Amino acid sequence: MAVPLSQMATVSKYVLSQKLKGVKRYPLVLMLEPLFRCNLACAGCGKIQYPDHVLDKRLTPEQCWAAAEECGAPIVSIPGGEPMIHPEMPKIVRGLVEQERYIYLCTNAILMERKLDEYQPSKFLTFSVHMDGLRDEHDLAVCRDGVYDVAVKAIKAALKRGHRVTTNTTLFDDANPERVRKFFDAMMELGVEGMMISPGYSYQKAPDQQHFLKRERTRELFSRILGNPKKGWRFNQSPLFLDFLMGRREYQCTPWGNPTYNVFGWQKPCYLLQEGYAKTFRELMDNTEWDRYGTGRNEKCADCMVHCGYEPSAVEDTFGTVSGFGRTVKLTMLPTSR
Amino acid sequence: MTDTKNHSGEHATGSPEGRFFQPASLAELAEAIELAFDYRGDVTVSLKSGESIFGYLFNRQVSGSDSYLEMFPSDSSEARHIRYDQVAAIAFTGKDTATGKSWEAWIAKKGPERRAEVERVAAEAKTRGIL
Repeated sequence: MAVPLSQMATVSKYVLSQKLKGVKRYPLVLMLEPLFRCNLACAGCGKIQYPDHVLDKRLTPEQCWAAAEECGAPIVSIPGGEPMIHPEMPKIVRGLVEQERYIYLCTNAILMERKLDEYQPSKFLTFSVHMDGLRDEHDLAVCRDGVYDVAVKAIKAALKRGHRVTTNTTLFDDANPERVRKFFDAMMELGVEGMMISPGYSYQKAPDQQHFLKRERTRELFSRILGNPKKGWRFNQSPLFLDFLMGRREYQCTPWGNPTYNVFGWQKPCYLLQEGYAKTFRELMDNTEWDRYGTGRNEKCADCMVHCGYEPSAVEDTFGTVSGFGRTVKLTMLPTSR
Repeated sequence: MTDTKNHSGEHATGSPEGRFFQPASLAELAEAIELAFDYRGDVTVSLKSGESIFGYLFNRQVSGSDSYLEMFPSDSSEARHIRYDQVAAIAFTGKDTATGKSWEAWIAKKGPERRAEVERVAAEAKTRGIL
């Protein structure tokens, strides 16, 4: 099982309590971006194109902890930028662990091995290492040779120290299904807890505009990759989301599922679109016209099938429908039955 | 709206970099601010008071006479909150950070050029202590 039982139980309890309270819109994962500065400039990334004085801005630990409290989501994902550049990241993580939130520290792993001593292994902390494929594909995607090997070495070091480690992979339309399957084998051999995959979002500001996936192509690609899963593969994400990527389930986007907080404030409406910023989480939830976003509602959402919008939909399906719950249980216990 | 191009780069990239807007109406002002909000570079906002602020415009709220913009001046950590009716002109004076780095350009570069760029970016990251 890729997600530990304690984490599953926490998320289940949280979702069910929201439902019992009659809360229609609730966050599942806080996307906490403490800085935009990165030590890579990946072709498919639209997150880091800012003037230097903006890239030098940092959220303080207090701002990060307050955002997590205000949002209340049981899971905090920390992307960026490269979060391990932030000099106070270990302190930020310690504070979030004290809040008993499950943290995914998303890193390219360039600084990871050097900084591992600053982090205590915990069931609440997972290093989510950015890996876009085997060596050739990954180094091309991040536009720097040698990064794959650095990341593999850092993963091994983290696992040796008892840390939870997962990988996160973004796929574009040039992905080769057979190579991706070999990549999954390689990550499982490394011993990571699980893998996360998602199609890339067509950021308007990203350098590479040609290789973003269209909806039909996404379904075709993920069907070829996941259609005949190997026994040893473990995915640290909802099995229904993987069904969705393969075209086996239809979902509408849940843009409030992964709210984003960064140096500008609470981003409207989601992690991928930047249509403005709210001062508070409540303002974001109450004043955003949510019905304007999602499949068929907004041209910017037309081809989006990204995890931050559709994984919360899959989780809602699990807890909101008998068929969703049944299939989640089945695929969790028997992943190869897909 | 007065729109003066200060250089010719705009045609090649589609970026408003180098443009200067002196709106004649609130609608034109809102349009210029929207363009600045979408711009990934610094702008210079000239106020009717005579003050000029150079920085990154990261937010705006359009709500009739209460409409405002927010920006981080390049020389200050505190965000500035500016009402639309205080603004006289906007110039796209900072470099557009979202142009000129296309994937095609990266792929088209010869091996030695790409290696040189990788080394330059790596050296810059090392200087900042982040590599």
